[in-house]
Amino acid sequence: MRKLLVTPIVVAALAAGSAAAATARVGGAHEAKKPSGAVTVSAAASLTEAFTRIGTDFQRKYPGTTVRLNFGASSALELQIEQGAPADVFASADTATMDKLVNAGKATRPAKAFARNRLVIVTKRRNPEKIRTIRDLARVPTLSLCALTVPCGKYAAQMLQAAGVTIPESKITRGQDVKTTLAAVSPGDASAAVVYVSDAKAAGRSITTVTIPDAQNVIAVYPIATLPSSSNPATAKAFVRYVLSKPGQQVLQRDGFLPPAATQ
Amino acid sequence: MIGTAAGRARRTRGRVPVAAIVPAIVAVGFFAVPLVGLLQRAAWSHLWDDLSSPAAGDALRLSLECSLWATALSIGFGVPLAWVLARLEFPGRPFVRALTLLPLVLPPVVGGVALLLAFSRDSLIGGWLHDWFGVQLTFSKAGTVLAETFVAMPFFVITVEAALRSTDRRYEEAAATLGANRWTVFRRVTLPMVLPSIAAGAALSWARALGEFGATITFAGNIQGRTQTTPLAVYVLLQSNLDGAIALSLVMLAVSLVVLTLLRDRWLGNV
Repeated sequence: MRKLLVTPIVVAALAAGSAAAATARVGGAHEAKKPSGAVTVSAAASLTEAFTRIGTDFQRKYPGTTVRLNFGASSALELQIEQGAPADVFASADTATMDKLVNAGKATRPAKAFARNRLVIVTKRRNPEKIRTIRDLARVPTLSLCALTVPCGKYAAQMLQAAGVTIPESKITRGQDVKTTLAAVSPGDASAAVVYVSDAKAAGRSITTVTIPDAQNVIAVYPIATLPSSSNPATAKAFVRYVLSKPGQQVLQRDGFLPPAATQ
Repeated sequence: MIGTAAGRARRTRGRVPVAAIVPAIVAVGFFAVPLVGLLQRAAWSHLWDDLSSPAAGDALRLSLECSLWATALSIGFGVPLAWVLARLEFPGRPFVRALTLLPLVLPPVVGGVALLLAFSRDSLIGGWLHDWFGVQLTFSKAGTVLAETFVAMPFFVITVEAALRSTDRRYEEAAATLGANRWTVFRRVTLPMVLPSIAAGAALSWARALGEFGATITFAGNIQGRTQTTPLAVYVLLQSNLDGAIALSLVMLAVSLVVLTLLRDRWLGNV
């Protein structure tokens, strides 16, 4: 352990030569500290597959680090952090939830956008109810949507409203996060669900995907930030950098996410 | 028998060793402190407003309706099942009994998944029900009742079976020698003897059905007015309206406490 502490500069210099260009470019004494120890990352449920992979990659890149992942509805995670749950990094599925945490002084500003996502309709396998458009969602017996407090629920409501489609609450089963919402269609028995493209991709062939045209779709922006309460800020920052770096972005895009807008 | 036990209890009252009283107080505190926390945190000033929201009203109504159905089903199927398990010798009886009691130890969510795999439209039974009769149990009120019955009925069966086993079978034998057929023996002799236990079992399984969460949300979903029972509504509210969640929790607590106190003490004579 002590040996690790005396050699950080050498190791950091070596690491700088590797894939993460971001690491190489940052200066300053505290940044030179080599990532080590454990970090807890609270991330939106839709990031489950991508962040699990990124976590593994990060640990491989920085031996001696442990990434603990805590997935859930962004709003639920935000509430946990606000109430003092220990975490080092927060990745939300919408900017509103992140802003709430930033404004409460519980997330380090500025939060950085690291990915975008779109919505998609998923149906039971082979689409027995022949759902083709957003309008068709109004005629299914049971539609699965995220709770209105959760980002994916807000995005779906926004999309339905823009399309002029009203669905009575008595036909909607509400999931507590996007994964539960998807599970209501498979293995559950709801006719259709509105989830993110990345979730539909992760679910594979257990469901059938119906694309929503861009003109009717909603773009979800995902911000990430370290938390000032972090007990391991150096590693937390390194994790955020890794998510924004090329290898991190590749994982996200392979899972169906879009790159963050423009300047990143 | 009960009389002498009660008498003995009365005589030894006040002689419980301190070594037992202290941990007992700790245990009571363990149950009481969270309740006090809930009471203290409750927003009494707008409690009524929180409870009169449409979602809260729907949830309470649905909880009452579904839990009563689940209790009725538990009694209707549970009495015969307990009777068979207590009185009928057949190979594999221990296995059948274990099977009936499985939901007691099974995590409710797992029970919900199992029900889903048995009754969803993609499954054998569920697919057949749906294709031939147009019946879909999942994500319906019937599904909520089914999920609640699944977790609640074992409480009923275990209570009634234990009572049946401990009754003196000579009464039944005497009735039979006097010419009563099996049905009459059951109706006129056995049933009256275990009636208190049937009430106790019904109260237990009703309370369990009322609090059911995991199997319901997995099997029947979370549809306001259709499958969103009070525990589900509390869970949803926890993320947006803590006061509302606490208000609903208090109603459940009050109702359960009243039922458990009254039923067990007044009607069952301190069972």
